[in-house]
Amino acid sequence: MTTLAEPNLGNGRNKGLFNNMTGFSTLITVTVLLLAWLAGFASRLFAVIRFESIIHEFDPWFNYRSTAYMVQHGFYNFLNWFDERAWYPLGRIVGGTVYPGLMITSGSIHWLLHALNIPIHIRDICVFLAPVFSGLTAIATYLLTAELWSRGAGLFAACFIAIVPGYSSRSVAGSYDNEGIAIFALQFTYFLWLKSLKTGSVFWSICTALSYFYMVSAWGGYVFIINLIPLHVFALLIMGRFSQRLFVSYSVFYIVGLLLSMQIPFVGFQPIRTSEHMAASGVFALLMAVGALKYLHSLNPKGQWKQLLIVGGLVSAALVFLMVVFLTYMGVIAPWSGRFYSLWDTAYAKIHIPIIASVSEHQPTTWSSFFFDLHVLVCTFPVGLWYCVKNINDERVFVTLYALSAVYFAGVMVRLMLTLTPVVCVLSGIAFSILLDLLLREDELPAAPVEPNDKNLYDKAGKVKKRAPEPTTQADFGLGTNVRSGVLIAFMILLMLFSVHCTWATSNAYSSPSIVLASYGNDGSRKILDDFREAYGWLSQNTADDARIMSWWDYGYQIAGMGNRTTLVDNNTWNNSHIALVGKAMASNETAAYDIMTMLDVDYVLVIFGGAIGYSGDDINKFIWMVRIAEGEHPKDIHEADYFTEKGEYRVDSEASKTMLNCLMYKLSYYRYDSGGSPPGYDRTRGALPGNRGFKLTFLEEAYTTEHWLVRIYRVKKPYEFNRPRLPLAKRTIQTSLTMSKKTSKRRKGVLKNKPTLVKGKKLSKL
Amino acid sequence: MKYKSLLIFSIVLICYNSDAQTRAKGLEEKVQQLTDMTAKQSIIPLNLNKFKEFVRSPPRDYSFVVMFTAMAPARRCAICQHVYDEYLIVANSFRYSPSYSNKMFFGIVDFDEGSDIFQMLRLTTAPVIMHFPAKGKPKPADSMDFERAGIHAEAIIKWIQDRTDIQIRVFRPPNYSGAVAFSMLFILVAGFLYLRRNNLEFLYNKQMWAVAALFFCFAMVSGQMWNQIRGPPFFHRTKNGPVYINGGSHGQFVLESYIVAILNGAVVVGMIMMIEAAGGVSGTDAQRAQEGKRRRFQTVFGLVLVCVFFSLLLSVFRAKTQGYPYSFLFK
Repeated sequence: MTTLAEPNLGNGRNKGLFNNMTGFSTLITVTVLLLAWLAGFASRLFAVIRFESIIHEFDPWFNYRSTAYMVQHGFYNFLNWFDERAWYPLGRIVGGTVYPGLMITSGSIHWLLHALNIPIHIRDICVFLAPVFSGLTAIATYLLTAELWSRGAGLFAACFIAIVPGYSSRSVAGSYDNEGIAIFALQFTYFLWLKSLKTGSVFWSICTALSYFYMVSAWGGYVFIINLIPLHVFALLIMGRFSQRLFVSYSVFYIVGLLLSMQIPFVGFQPIRTSEHMAASGVFALLMAVGALKYLHSLNPKGQWKQLLIVGGLVSAALVFLMVVFLTYMGVIAPWSGRFYSLWDTAYAKIHIPIIASVSEHQPTTWSSFFFDLHVLVCTFPVGLWYCVKNINDERVFVTLYALSAVYFAGVMVRLMLTLTPVVCVLSGIAFSILLDLLLREDELPAAPVEPNDKNLYDKAGKVKKRAPEPTTQADFGLGTNVRSGVLIAFMILLMLFSVHCTWATSNAYSSPSIVLASYGNDGSRKILDDFREAYGWLSQNTADDARIMSWWDYGYQIAGMGNRTTLVDNNTWNNSHIALVGKAMASNETAAYDIMTMLDVDYVLVIFGGAIGYSGDDINKFIWMVRIAEGEHPKDIHEADYFTEKGEYRVDSEASKTMLNCLMYKLSYYRYDSGGSPPGYDRTRGALPGNRGFKLTFLEEAYTTEHWLVRIYRVKKPYEFNRPRLPLAKRTIQTSLTMSKKTSKRRKGVLKNKPTLVKGKKLSKL
Repeated sequence: MKYKSLLIFSIVLICYNSDAQTRAKGLEEKVQQLTDMTAKQSIIPLNLNKFKEFVRSPPRDYSFVVMFTAMAPARRCAICQHVYDEYLIVANSFRYSPSYSNKMFFGIVDFDEGSDIFQMLRLTTAPVIMHFPAKGKPKPADSMDFERAGIHAEAIIKWIQDRTDIQIRVFRPPNYSGAVAFSMLFILVAGFLYLRRNNLEFLYNKQMWAVAALFFCFAMVSGQMWNQIRGPPFFHRTKNGPVYINGGSHGQFVLESYIVAILNGAVVVGMIMMIEAAGGVSGTDAQRAQEGKRRRFQTVFGLVLVCVFFSLLLSVFRAKTQGYPYSFLFK
């Protein structure tokens, strides 16, 4: 709140009253930025205050685990780390499949602090990294906006981005993810790019490339930069805004940035081998061609050079384009990967890549989530866009393209709201700054009416002579104090609403660690449900060190991070068929699932079941995606339709389909379940009484169930185990008596006791 | 000895052959006929006699996929045409694929030509795609469920593979309409630009570009992309009259998104009006010598636009989001 109110006044004054006092305006700038940093940091601490300093969700657990590994074993061991605890039996080469920027950042902070003899645990650095970086993002946004418009607008933008929910959604304390630092890198790269474009200096271009390098090391979203900057250059070329500055800055940035980006092991040769990066090299070639033509033109400014320039530019553009198409066709350049392709062809992922479509943050965005994440900015940023287009220059072309592309991507995928948020803050900052600037300036300038007189000299010539009525015209010219203060108050209220909304949204929607759940009783008392950690703790204490845990991929990173056990699949969904195999096991009946589990050497199965407490993100609700993914790879064995009722409903009660009632996931969820409300065994998440109850498990046995039934762990029996309890002793003796006489069997009782089980095991393993 | 055994063997062979021939004569003939028909037309039109002969009567070793439809315009079956197009793609892909065999044929029954077939199978709706397996009667799963699977050729092929184990790779005749439309548009624009080559000032009209950019933003921000992907209804009809706003925050109606776009637009217009009234951005508009009264009015009007429409937007949002505590001007 305070930080928001501050820049309004500060900005206005700094333009009006203290025009020449640069020192004062710098002081205000620094103060506001510091306050923005503080407010941004503070508003992200809800989770830490309510719960504890803990890593959130899923991906952050992997990041934390690898950071801890790096801190412990050193950077080069981290790069060469082969993690045999993931993707059993395949393993994962972590160093080559990860963007190491995040780990390096927190690792170097850790190193620095320890060098200064400040002993701090790496976990705390990881938890607080994103909130700290939000302040840096605010500063980068300030710099970017100041390049685009004015310092006042920059302060507005900095304050907006410090607290806007669209950004804090990914950067609350504990959400230790790539995006937290990547948005800073994104904004800073754009600032440096504009700076280098303005000055045309090699120094700033190199800085841009270095910042781009940091971005590449931090987040896969660097593709956005390497496409947006070429798009900007291309647009400038089309608009006839070619200049030596553009030529120098882009060619230096492209070459240095390309070489640097290829140093990241995960990126490798992609920048020259994939279609996502081809726009950059195509524009580079085009820029070279245009530069050459311009040079020829400068040799002989007369004659038909202009036509040659246009025709030559068009021809070289077509050539470059055809070249890229040809190379793609030849297979030298890989075509667009599914993840990026689905941004253009929005139906693509749904048909071809269910694993992408299954993730909730890959869904398209409704207007209410735009409003939720941006609030008042969503209806003010077009104003900033309007004035940027109307007062276009090289930099504003950039911000226009940035806004248009980001708003498109955000519309396609909820997740990409993150790239839209910074530019919305920039443009809204511009809009607010223009308005309040005008309103406040007139107030302060007693000479306001003189200014229009100067400009409209010819019109007003007659009036100047009449000295007497001047006071009335002067009074009539301005907006009047009442109107001005009315507008000011109204906008203060809007901004206040914005900051209140941001706090509310961050606190209610984005500050849940999702590892620890909280439920509130009727009297407002809070109950902490710590089932996840309970289960992972149990795993780490009670299972063999090399035990292999099968679960759906969502929980892979957490099991590895907290339970320190081997997992089959995890959130790095690189191997679809492996995931489909796990999905198939979950979707098959017990016997078929047992075969798969033996094949995969599974020791324990972990399922999340929310029926007892009404937790909606549990495995039964995700189950239909497991079926779909499994069906994609094993269309013969798994049919999605089998899991629905005749009417096509997804149910778990007695009307559910037979396949559903007998699949492994269902059985593991509802085995022995008798909690959850008035009829014991009532499922509170689905609001139904499960249709198949009181069954026994043959091939698995319950190993552990947490306090609120949230996590259930089962042990997979070894082949020699599962038929023993089922065979009564009498029956066993009868079986043996078939082959031998009673007399001998009695005599050899001690020997024979073990024999049948051995035979049994062998027989069944052949099944 | 040698010859004798050979003789016996050949006799046995001939006997067996002739025996088999008499048994399978009907079948071979049928398959031959069907193959000839398929060569002419990848989907075989069936009337009652043909249907009985080829699809229902016993000696069969082939699967028959039949679409029951009502294509006559008088029947007003809009979806039939779409399904037929997709079905045709499937049949053609099979016809010209390397896996083509006489183990499966595609047929079609139109209601106006074979209403007795509809009666015979007790079909009351169209379109229906049914699979008649080589052995036995069709099961419930042998009629395709459009509602769940969709009507795309891919879905049909998946279903066919499910029922018959015959894999078909869908080969869509490349859809030139998009490319043609695009190139037509391109040619039009290029031609237009060429005709007006002496007067290209309008391209430098920033107002136009700005309006276009704003419209794009409004469309995206109001969730048109969501509409396009999810295809929600225009608005919802209930007993208590139409509902324009979806109650949940995870859904929206088409009309709702238009309303939101207009609300957003009104706020933006209001704000631009205020800025223009206050003097505009220096450098673009020279300070206009407007009368103070008019400027004041414009400012107040803009302010009212901003406040009222933003409050409306907020209250719509509040109605959709459970437990949202804040509002402005309106509840």
